Amino acid sequence: MEDGKLSRWPMIAITVMRVFVGWHFLYEGIAKLTSPSWSAAGYLKQARGPFAGLFKSLAAQPDLLANADLITMWGLTAVGVLLVLGLFTRIASLGGIGFILLFYLCNPPFVGYFYSIPTEGSYLIVNKNLVELGALVVILVTGSGRFAGFDRIVRALVGGRTRAAAA
Amino acid sequence: MAGEDDKDKVAAQAKAAGPKKIDRRDVLKGLSTVPALGLFGYAWYKQHQYQQATAQAAAGPAVAPGDLQEINVALLGAGAQGQVLTDAMLRIPGLRFRAVCDIWTEYNQKRVVNSMRKFKHEVNAYEDYREMLDKEKELDAVVIATPDFWHSQHAVDCLKAAKHVYCEKEMSNTLEGARAMVAAARESGKLLQIGHQRRSNPRYLHCYQKLLGEAKLLGRIVTVSGQWNRAVTPDLGAPDRYAIPEARLKQYGFKDMHQFRNWRWYKGLGGGPIVDLGSHQIDIYTWFLGVNPSHVMASGGQLYYDPKTHEWYDTAMVVFDYDTPAGPVKAYYQTQTTNGSLGYFENFMGDQGTLLISESEVHAAKVYRDTNAPAWDTWVQKGYVTAPKIQEVKEKDESAAVMDVRESVSPDEHKVPIVLRDPYHQPHLQNFFDAVRGKAKLNCPAEIGYESAVSVLKVNEAIEAKSRLSFTPEDFHI
Repeated sequence: MEDGKLSRWPMIAITVMRVFVGWHFLYEGIAKLTSPSWSAAGYLKQARGPFAGLFKSLAAQPDLLANADLITMWGLTAVGVLLVLGLFTRIASLGGIGFILLFYLCNPPFVGYFYSIPTEGSYLIVNKNLVELGALVVILVTGSGRFAGFDRIVRALVGGRTRAAAA
Repeated sequence: MAGEDDKDKVAAQAKAAGPKKIDRRDVLKGLSTVPALGLFGYAWYKQHQYQQATAQAAAGPAVAPGDLQEINVALLGAGAQGQVLTDAMLRIPGLRFRAVCDIWTEYNQKRVVNSMRKFKHEVNAYEDYREMLDKEKELDAVVIATPDFWHSQHAVDCLKAAKHVYCEKEMSNTLEGARAMVAAARESGKLLQIGHQRRSNPRYLHCYQKLLGEAKLLGRIVTVSGQWNRAVTPDLGAPDRYAIPEARLKQYGFKDMHQFRNWRWYKGLGGGPIVDLGSHQIDIYTWFLGVNPSHVMASGGQLYYDPKTHEWYDTAMVVFDYDTPAGPVKAYYQTQTTNGSLGYFENFMGDQGTLLISESEVHAAKVYRDTNAPAWDTWVQKGYVTAPKIQEVKEKDESAAVMDVRESVSPDEHKVPIVLRDPYHQPHLQNFFDAVRGKAKLNCPAEIGYESAVSVLKVNEAIEAKSRLSFTPEDFHI
């Protein structure tokens, strides 16, 4: 969907949502980066569901785990900054969707599954990960960065040149 | 274009006029969410300040690094434990790392060297510790985290080269080795600290000095129990591309890469779980009871793992006798490596109360006041223990069993409000470096490490002998 098809207030609401989601990603990333002992190992080790074997084997290999930790910490931070700024919003949304999909598949809240991390909330099939994933899909398809965000400036510059070249 | 509002007309005109330029609206809207990032930065700064302030408050007064005489340190043995000690030492001010020595040059050595370089320590890497001692003349101290069967030779040679030594437990896999270390420390006049790190842990010190020493909360201790239960763990492996050449493995006493990685399970190299895990806690029994054991009986075996690659007992259940000045004590200890339930702790039971203590935050430390004990109000007011947790009685709980009149009433639970926010080994290493500077006494000098080794190594003997073995006071004397 191109932006402009939604009217002003829905776009403002989606932009506010984008900033919230971005903020959350950013802090999840920074909190992990600044905690010297953080590792995804605990989360991966308690993996359940169809991909449990894959996640557990990742946790068991120190080399791979170290890479997964780095990618998670820096990836979350980068997605967060880009979403807050509305820069490369679609790429950032896709990245965020990728991360959350992995988190969701690692610890899916399926019938009869219970986890020790995290300890809050009650979920069945749908958990907050999936809700945030839904929010990112909305951000992705509405191109909120082009309404309010760096993408607007980028498009004005790049888009302007493209039209000029075509003309 | 009928029906469109003015805004669209403007846009259409702009489009018709040629390349789009950035107008003021684009810039304003484009930058409209930047303040959110500023707000985030401010919130994070506040959060970070708060975390630092709480960490500092917990750590106590810090010494300015400028006032410290710098200590030149080398790490000998850069495996998993070497890394743990390195991570703790990198947090201690006033240390200058000069060298790292490990025979696994392809992997472990590189990893630790890199982690030190991240903290701006330019270290030289060695495979042979003798070469390191020859070349690194300015070293003050060596921290040893090699496999147990190397401890004695490494520590003795370092002490002879006039270095202070921090050596991981178990002090040695043989008593002859441990005796040689004590002798070398005495002859050289250098410090030898053994890595029973609970001896410097503020929680253990608080319980020992305040709760047992000053307040005597437990009354007369009659029984002790403790355990380290560890879940099944697969053997350690190593990628082929990082394998150590066979000749080098043989040179340093290993049959193959599997044995090198899993030396703890092999006779002649390590001492098995009772030594790896149990020695920490059996050391606490002795420390808190104030005497060495008089007898030991034990049962254990190779119940689960492949006995060809796991030569030591995967399960051990032990009873020690202690003749304390207050009277006899029976102390049970178990370690098993096939189930991790309830983890690890030590539990001291007296006629007035119980102290459950652990290095792990899962158990931390709790004291239970028996109903016949005098009130602990004074100790709560002094902050030695927290106010008791109110025991909630669920009257309508249908599953609740009727209490038998012979059953004791549950004692009140008090927590011990001491939390260690640093890595477990940091206070013990700090104590060692403080002693190197002449500002502290070692919390676990060679003699104490030796006494602990005597008690622990005897457990494996008792399992093998299938009988109750006795200690004489001379066994502990050196």
